[in-house]
Amino acid sequence: MTELTLEGVSKRYDGTVALEGIDLTIRDGEFFTLVGPSGCGKTTTLRTVAGFETPTEGAVRFDDQEMAGVPPEDRDVGVVFQSYALFPHMSVAENVGYGLRFREPPDGLTVDERVRELLELVDLAGAGDRDPEELSGGQRQRVALARALAPAPDLLLLDEPLSALDARLRESLRRQITRIQSDLEITTVYVTHDQAEALAISDRVAVMNGGRIEQVGRPQEIYRAPATRFVAEFVGDNNVLEGAVRGRDGDRTRLDVGGETVTVSSVPPGADRVVVCVRPGALSQDASSNRLPVTVETSEFLGETVRVHGRWNDTEIVLQLPEVPAGNELTVGFDPDDAHVVATE
Amino acid sequence: MSAPDRHRLRSRLEQRALSLSALATAAILAVMLYLPVGVVFVEAVLEAGRPTLAHVRAVLTDPFYVGALADIVAEPLAIRTHLESLAGWLGAVSVSVAVVRPIPGLDLPVPWLALETPGVRWGLFGFTAYQAALSTVASVALGLPAAYILATYEFQGRQTLRSLTILPFVLPGIMVAVGFYAMFGRAGTLNGLLGVVGLGPYPFIEWNPLAIVIVAHAFYNAPLVARVTVAAWESVDRRAVETARSLGAGPRRAFRDVVVPQLVPAILTGALLTFIFTFMTFPIVLALGGLQLATVEVWIYDRVRQLAYSEAAALAVLETLLSLGLTYAYLRYESAQSGLARSAAAPARRPLFPDLRTALSPRRLAIVGYGLIALVVFVGPLASLVIGSLTDGSGFTLRHYAFLIERQLEGASYQTLPWVAIRNSVLFGIATLVVAVPMGVVVSAVTARAGRAGAVVDALAMLPLAVSGVVFGIGLLQGLVFGIPLPGGWRFQVTGAVAIVAAHAVAAYPFVTRNVSPLLSNLDPAMVESARALGASRARALRDIELPLVASGIVAGAAFAFAISIGEFSSTVILAGGGDTYTMPVAVERYLGRRSGPAIAMGTVLLVVTAASFVVVDRVGGRFER
Repeated sequence: MTELTLEGVSKRYDGTVALEGIDLTIRDGEFFTLVGPSGCGKTTTLRTVAGFETPTEGAVRFDDQEMAGVPPEDRDVGVVFQSYALFPHMSVAENVGYGLRFREPPDGLTVDERVRELLELVDLAGAGDRDPEELSGGQRQRVALARALAPAPDLLLLDEPLSALDARLRESLRRQITRIQSDLEITTVYVTHDQAEALAISDRVAVMNGGRIEQVGRPQEIYRAPATRFVAEFVGDNNVLEGAVRGRDGDRTRLDVGGETVTVSSVPPGADRVVVCVRPGALSQDASSNRLPVTVETSEFLGETVRVHGRWNDTEIVLQLPEVPAGNELTVGFDPDDAHVVATE
Repeated sequence: MSAPDRHRLRSRLEQRALSLSALATAAILAVMLYLPVGVVFVEAVLEAGRPTLAHVRAVLTDPFYVGALADIVAEPLAIRTHLESLAGWLGAVSVSVAVVRPIPGLDLPVPWLALETPGVRWGLFGFTAYQAALSTVASVALGLPAAYILATYEFQGRQTLRSLTILPFVLPGIMVAVGFYAMFGRAGTLNGLLGVVGLGPYPFIEWNPLAIVIVAHAFYNAPLVARVTVAAWESVDRRAVETARSLGAGPRRAFRDVVVPQLVPAILTGALLTFIFTFMTFPIVLALGGLQLATVEVWIYDRVRQLAYSEAAALAVLETLLSLGLTYAYLRYESAQSGLARSAAAPARRPLFPDLRTALSPRRLAIVGYGLIALVVFVGPLASLVIGSLTDGSGFTLRHYAFLIERQLEGASYQTLPWVAIRNSVLFGIATLVVAVPMGVVVSAVTARAGRAGAVVDALAMLPLAVSGVVFGIGLLQGLVFGIPLPGGWRFQVTGAVAIVAAHAVAAYPFVTRNVSPLLSNLDPAMVESARALGASRARALRDIELPLVASGIVAGAAFAFAISIGEFSSTVILAGGGDTYTMPVAVERYLGRRSGPAIAMGTVLLVVTAASFVVVDRVGGRFER
């Protein structure tokens, strides 16, 4: 099917920079997610791919074809928006069939057959005659997905498709989207602000911030080895301790963190100022090394675990403990191998 | 041509369709709006091909036009002299309680607080502003109680009444003028009623034509004031009032602190619009006051009739600059207010007459009293029109209609024939609709999401609202009807029906835009983007998605366009001249000059056609809406 390339894509609106030098290659059949806080440029990137925005600089290529000047209607992309954007004056079947007014249905099917096939794909067989306003939010979003897929587009672009839905529905629809995507093997770009969602469904993820890409990688890489402090803080809960490299101790490196000495197993080569990232689950009262006294501020009971917010000197600390701690003072430590160190400027 | 080629050509054309129709609209506006207005401006500053400010200066230094300001314009630097005369004038102001004009027939003197001012020449512009200010006060005074009742009480027909407030705005001015004539004239319905109790007849119009003109202006503009105020009132969040009450404010205090501040901008908007409209008033003053009460607009018309084009143009330029300034102020003010949020919880309404006891409370009685006044002002003239067409001094008669039929059957071709007027009105109305609706929709589509550039286009396209019909009419007459010489011996000339339809379309399309734009910009932009990603061109998405969803606005805009065309008087009367492209309003005015009966009958026919067109459009519109 299609490989998508963005090369040095920048977008500026009178003075403000929305995108700055975006380079991406999204592989054929890949489920690729752009994630970041609002205003990071993820939606602008998606809209540039769809042809709704024209990049100020740089190129967008589908396979080897340069897309500059190609209007959205000639790009063969399927787009699903957060707001569903169903056409309220058309029935469900007319919505799904709308793209087939402009493109032949694939596999020699008739329009009706293709519409029925897509409605079955999204578990809405038989809903074709209904009006969009009779459907629930989740059903509407499935109709929107079927509508985007009906003309068999080269690329599927999803802009926060689940953000308007409640948590339970979000999860089941998320599974449905990944199933359909892997069945159809369609190259997919998914935009979300929800890092957990991004990690859960993607083959690869790009974390964006301030119009730039911070890191691209598989969900595990992003989670375990964040490339920047921003990624470390944005993806999952993390304890971020600022420090400076002091020296080596065999295969360990000694750091000075707020006057205390902390040992870690590796630091980026040549780094001086660093941040040490430790996941809440890696901090335990039983660990023998890197012990820090923590003052407990709040405890939240979450069922399986207890989340404890506290403070070590001036640094906020998040812990994940099996039980609500007794007393307000406790000491936790972490194994040097469980810390990930990121260089800072 | 192979199938894919044909497909490509079609999609190429479709891609350009929106730009092409935008270009066509811009071309029509350039030729039919900007060119005529430009011609008027050029005429005002040219003398025998040479630029000159003589005409404008002549107007500005003539006390007849600008009153006391003439001296200041003539010698702007003689500040001391001006201050001295101002001081002298202020010294002579006196306030007194006087007994003024006893109502004739009743020997009751009416006490009146009189502000005695030594004579100041207001001039034509001053008088125009003066009557506009009085009309504004009257409109606000008559409109606010209506807003209060519509916003706070629930009663049968409230919704209908609320939608009817848009109606006076599109009623033909000349018809309303004739309606007032039929009500207040010497043989009018009011004198008929007074005659029953042995009084009168009184010449109300001759006594105080200004008062009648101001009531007629209130007929037009009070519903406008009521409309914008009710809209603001209904968008007040009930929870804000409830919060104020829970914080310790009494009902009156909560009203004053929470509701009133949100109503004031709307009332000011309504007042400013009323001032603009009545400043440019024409048919009402022409028919009810004549040259005795001349406003700038009426005087310009008279100058054109006297073939004094340069003077008319200079006046027209000054009037247009004033009204543009006012319109600019209005638009600035309106956009500053547009941040007001739509509220989810509108204030609750009480039943108007829940039981007999409440119905007799002072407040309810005041409402009934207001209702009677409103009935007289709003229903009176229209009812009088119908009654007047069927009666004469002695009782029921059909002779006014008989006169119209007779004139149609036996009239000479140079006379004003009723059927020709009706036919012209309906044909021009349909043609206007056909031209104005696409223009209005295109302007809406271009401006709906174009950001700052869209705002500029919007302002340029809304110019017709600020240029009076008479000014526009002169521009068309001098520019297009007389023709503009082109190089190579050609002449660019547009005359007759085409010029009139163009004038109507240009006057009407802003109403289409105003009806369509809000609906269009409320649509989720993702719908159009979805359609485009699915393969639809921009024009195709407009046709498939946006237009069906804003159909109700288009139908409403079409109704406006038709009604504006049917009622348009100012530029039509200039363009029709003595020819046979006269419309019903022009016919009414021509009859009115000679005898009132047939004019009233013709006015009634106009009322029937206008009402019928609304019913038809409403039916057709009902089919389009889901």
